Amino acid sequence: MKRYFREISVTLALGLVLLGLAVFAPAFYQPQPLLSLVTREAPTLVIACGMALVIICRQIDISVGSQFSVCSVAAGLLAAHGWPLPLVVVAAAVIGAGLGAVNGVLVAGLRLPSIVVTLATMVTLRQGLNLLRQGEFVNLPDGVQWFGLSQTAGQWTLVGAALAVLVACGLAMRHLAAGRWVYAVGTDAEAARLAGIRPQLVTFLVFVLLGALTGLAAMMNIVQSPQVQPLAGAGLELKVIAAVVVGGVSISGGRGNVWGAFAGLLLLACVAPALTHLRIEAYWEKAIQGAIILLAVVADGLRSRPGKGGRG
Amino acid sequence: MSAPRPPAAWKAALLRHETLLLAVLVAEWLLFYHFGTTTNRRGLVVGFGTLDRQFDILRHSCEIGLLALALTPIILTAGIDLSVGSLLGLCAIVFGKLWHDGGLSIPAAAALTLLAGALGGGLNAGLITRLRLPPLIVTLGTYSLFRGLAEAITHGAVTYTDFPASFLFLGQERWLGLPTQAWLFLLVAAGVWLLVHSTTFGRAFRVIGFSPEGARYAGLPVGRCLALVYVLAGLISALAGLIYTARLGQAKADAGTGYELFAITAVVLGGTSIFGGRGSVTGTLLGVAAIAVLKNGLACLPVVIRMNAAEEMSGLLTGVLLLAALTGSMLPKILSPLLRRAQSG
Repeated sequence: MKRYFREISVTLALGLVLLGLAVFAPAFYQPQPLLSLVTREAPTLVIACGMALVIICRQIDISVGSQFSVCSVAAGLLAAHGWPLPLVVVAAAVIGAGLGAVNGVLVAGLRLPSIVVTLATMVTLRQGLNLLRQGEFVNLPDGVQWFGLSQTAGQWTLVGAALAVLVACGLAMRHLAAGRWVYAVGTDAEAARLAGIRPQLVTFLVFVLLGALTGLAAMMNIVQSPQVQPLAGAGLELKVIAAVVVGGVSISGGRGNVWGAFAGLLLLACVAPALTHLRIEAYWEKAIQGAIILLAVVADGLRSRPGKGGRG
Repeated sequence: MSAPRPPAAWKAALLRHETLLLAVLVAEWLLFYHFGTTTNRRGLVVGFGTLDRQFDILRHSCEIGLLALALTPIILTAGIDLSVGSLLGLCAIVFGKLWHDGGLSIPAAAALTLLAGALGGGLNAGLITRLRLPPLIVTLGTYSLFRGLAEAITHGAVTYTDFPASFLFLGQERWLGLPTQAWLFLLVAAGVWLLVHSTTFGRAFRVIGFSPEGARYAGLPVGRCLALVYVLAGLISALAGLIYTARLGQAKADAGTGYELFAITAVVLGGTSIFGGRGSVTGTLLGVAAIAVLKNGLACLPVVIRMNAAEEMSGLLTGVLLLAALTGSMLPKILSPLLRRAQSG
């Protein structure tokens, strides 16, 4: 109980928000808009799973938004060139993994701090994409939107895929040796090395995995509309990191799980609709997001503060 | 094994990071001078090689330069502040709002804006020193919070304009031969240089950067030193916000977006270790100059003008430059074991 305090408190907060919406804005629960909301968040959930792993490993990646845009445009162009859809999905994941590998080599291979490395790759990728594409939209051929299924079937497919990634990550982190390695490296890289784990390899691999999941998420995003927007991923990194940190993954590594990140994401996803239903202007969304990140880390800080009340 | 002999003094001076960076800067400047200067149909020299353009470079580098100066002590303590660009934007909006809607005079509004900047820095400082939270995540949160507040105040659309000429003088005119804001920049640079290089605070920053626990056991006021650098960063960001507003003649919510990247790049390029403990203000100033010349020089190259891609090119090259500088700073550490093995083997 005490061990999962953060996960439980986030879930309770989510429950309260959902309850509040049920009382004050029952329109929120109409099935079709709710399914649309959940579908919109599905790609973010996939990235959040990868980001949770990276942060548990005591690293961070703020280039996911740019990776997302690059993968979206690349996948869109491949689809427009007539590649079959399954192949495009694989290609998007491979391109994402390649971009993640660049971060991984710089962080794990050269032992550079991940925040500065990914700040640099974030801008390099974003501006490189702008330079090559000049903000042009990519028109997708018929049969790509919703994988050629009906809209409802396509939405359920995306939600199902995102949940499958979540469950796979959750189980792997708990029951596979590789999952425990990530916790070990995030807790104490030197101790992990002495225990026979290769910390640099684990760090490299979590970046590659995050890249691959970002590519997959980009694919899950572009099938939702007939065009690919090159700016789709701008600011995504903050949303994902906020979800993960709010969900109880400790920024100093080694603590948290993807289930908490899931609850954190749902909580943040409810903020925008709650704002609209409570008639607060939407301009506040970014400020509220920042405030929620700060609240979450302050909660962590208060609990782990040495010698103050002995909580945590 | 005997200790390696210290190299001759002139050799050491020649191989210092700042000297190398100065050489790179001169080479870069000459390249742009050669390729970016043209003569137009009337026989006038236009492009990079004009005095006006050089003043422009100085004018444009002041805001990023101020943020880089603010970041130098922070990075010396092994911290980071990602929120400086957002705070610049928030302060520009606060200033515009106070003057335009609040009916305050320019000096009063400017003073309150500086106070707001110090408060913003104080929020970072409080969370980092009181709760011992990592600066990275705290300033990532305030990065979003400050920009979000700026957007909320302006509803994402309002831009404050029509500032009086006496205020615009700060950003658009010259005083004693130099762009006005350059004097403020030089003043802050001198202040930060003194703080970092000739006070006990500066020494404390380095010690904290090397080992915060060690600094604490040595009796240094770690919390107070850290609070000082973050509050100072907030104050300098506010000043940069004022200068930005005066230069463009308008205060808008997206002021300074992405400036933190340029500022961090300038500091790292200037030889300050991102892991803390080592670095100099002189290096930062050279780094700022290198980036400013790059940004403005690119805009003068005919090929970039044809592509209409100055913004993208400068962002792209700055990102690559930061990666190259980081990699370069790590190379000796990675190569030295290999070299030693090769020598002994």
